[in-house]
Amino acid sequence: MKSKRNTSSFRDPSGYVFIEDDSVKRVVNPIYFEQYNQLTSSGFYQLLFDKKYLVSHQEVSRTDSEIIIEASKIPFINYPYEWSFLQYKHAALLTLKIQKLCLENNFTLKDASAFNITFHEGKPIFIDTLSFDFYQENNPWLAYKQFIMHFLGPLVLTKYFGQDHLKTLALHLEGISLQKLSNLLPFKSYLSPILLTNIHLLAKYDKKYESDKKKVNNNLSKASQIKLLDGLYDYILNLSVNEKTEWDHYYNQINYNEVAYQVKKEFVKDWFSSIQGKSLIDIGGNDGTFSRELKELADFMIVADVDANAVEQNYKQILKNKEKSILPIVVDVLNPVANYGFNNQERFSFIDRVKEVNLDGCLALAVIHHITLSGNIPFSLSAQFFSKMAPNLLIEFPTRADSWVQFLLDSKREFKSHFDFYNEENFENEYAVYFEIVKKVKIDSSERILYSLKRR
Amino acid sequence: MIPLYFDPGTGALIVQFLAAAVAGVLLFYRTVMHKIKSLFGIKDKNDDDFMDETDNSEDKK
Repeated sequence: MKSKRNTSSFRDPSGYVFIEDDSVKRVVNPIYFEQYNQLTSSGFYQLLFDKKYLVSHQEVSRTDSEIIIEASKIPFINYPYEWSFLQYKHAALLTLKIQKLCLENNFTLKDASAFNITFHEGKPIFIDTLSFDFYQENNPWLAYKQFIMHFLGPLVLTKYFGQDHLKTLALHLEGISLQKLSNLLPFKSYLSPILLTNIHLLAKYDKKYESDKKKVNNNLSKASQIKLLDGLYDYILNLSVNEKTEWDHYYNQINYNEVAYQVKKEFVKDWFSSIQGKSLIDIGGNDGTFSRELKELADFMIVADVDANAVEQNYKQILKNKEKSILPIVVDVLNPVANYGFNNQERFSFIDRVKEVNLDGCLALAVIHHITLSGNIPFSLSAQFFSKMAPNLLIEFPTRADSWVQFLLDSKREFKSHFDFYNEENFENEYAVYFEIVKKVKIDSSERILYSLKRR
Repeated sequence: MIPLYFDPGTGALIVQFLAAAVAGVLLFYRTVMHKIKSLFGIKDKNDDDFMDETDNSEDKK
């Protein structure tokens, strides 16, 4: 039996996560027994499971020194800096909903880290089973400051300054500092009563009492705390971001006629059946149009795109159709999420997590010309990248005659000749180092080729 | 109570009282406006609250 403590689980003394034989288990320390027992016997854990707010678990063993529980496995843990705006919003709202439900049942969330939430089966879900504590009458919310630093801060920065700020937590794993947040926001944010109190006033008070570690309890009735939560909920629910991205023009840009589009769809389906795939990653998957064609065949599909608006569009469709098998995330192939945190072992890189899931296939449609020509990435390096994704690759290669390729080449101006290597032959030779060609089909009435490749 | 692994911030605990008071006023104002609007038959636009379609009906706000 192989057992390994999860390197990102060390902050909370209540317990820790470890991986044993491919299952996710959690040790509950004696310090948390009372809470754990009450959460179990009161049926509150069950209530959270039923509502699909909290990842479910089962107790596997119990001694005087530790209780071990096994959690349902989530195939791909995703992080706040990989979410679109709407996903981020929904993660924040879920946290508030859970806290409100806690109060109604005389519990409280003792932390409100955005890393306690991940997207699974089309929805955000809370994954930290030991985040609950007893509610003490009239006590304020201890995790309030953390909630603002992890959720409200990045969301409001995004509202004012665009979607780059959804990645705030990649830089500040503990959340953005209140002083900085307050300083960054424009003057008009003072006119919003919610931002005035929950950010500006909070930052001011936080600084004022910085060195004062006195106990504060009995200053906030439960009814008032619920108003605080409702106020934040209402504000976040109505938050929007108005930033046009490349995706918003996408449908004017696709280089296909209807026939070529259908051919491509069929080819994707055939390929996926031929590899007998069950899971997939779609790189540059846009709003999930092509992955959705495989809905009947696949159990799990990660649809990654660099454009937060496209990812959000995908997420909206998932909500609308109640799709469980698609996970939309924001991924910049030219700069995928790295290993962050202490020892580089707290939050894991995109590539490490993808390897961990052992996906069957990788779909890379209409993306190689962007990687090669916009990103200046040689074929040998992109082949290496794709070989890490999955053993089977379906890749679309737009030839030099393609109008998009023409456009990208023209944008290179004098540097254009540097990209003379961009052709079918070089592509095949370089990719042959990592893959063998299973099938090659030119898409009729387009200047594009589809390759089905198998990793060597 | 379990000891916290982070500092909740004294100021953050104090300010919650003020923030809750402001939120209370806002929510009251919103409810009143909603009632006035509904008297004239104006409906608030229904935002895509993801929870409504995925959760138990009792959870609807």
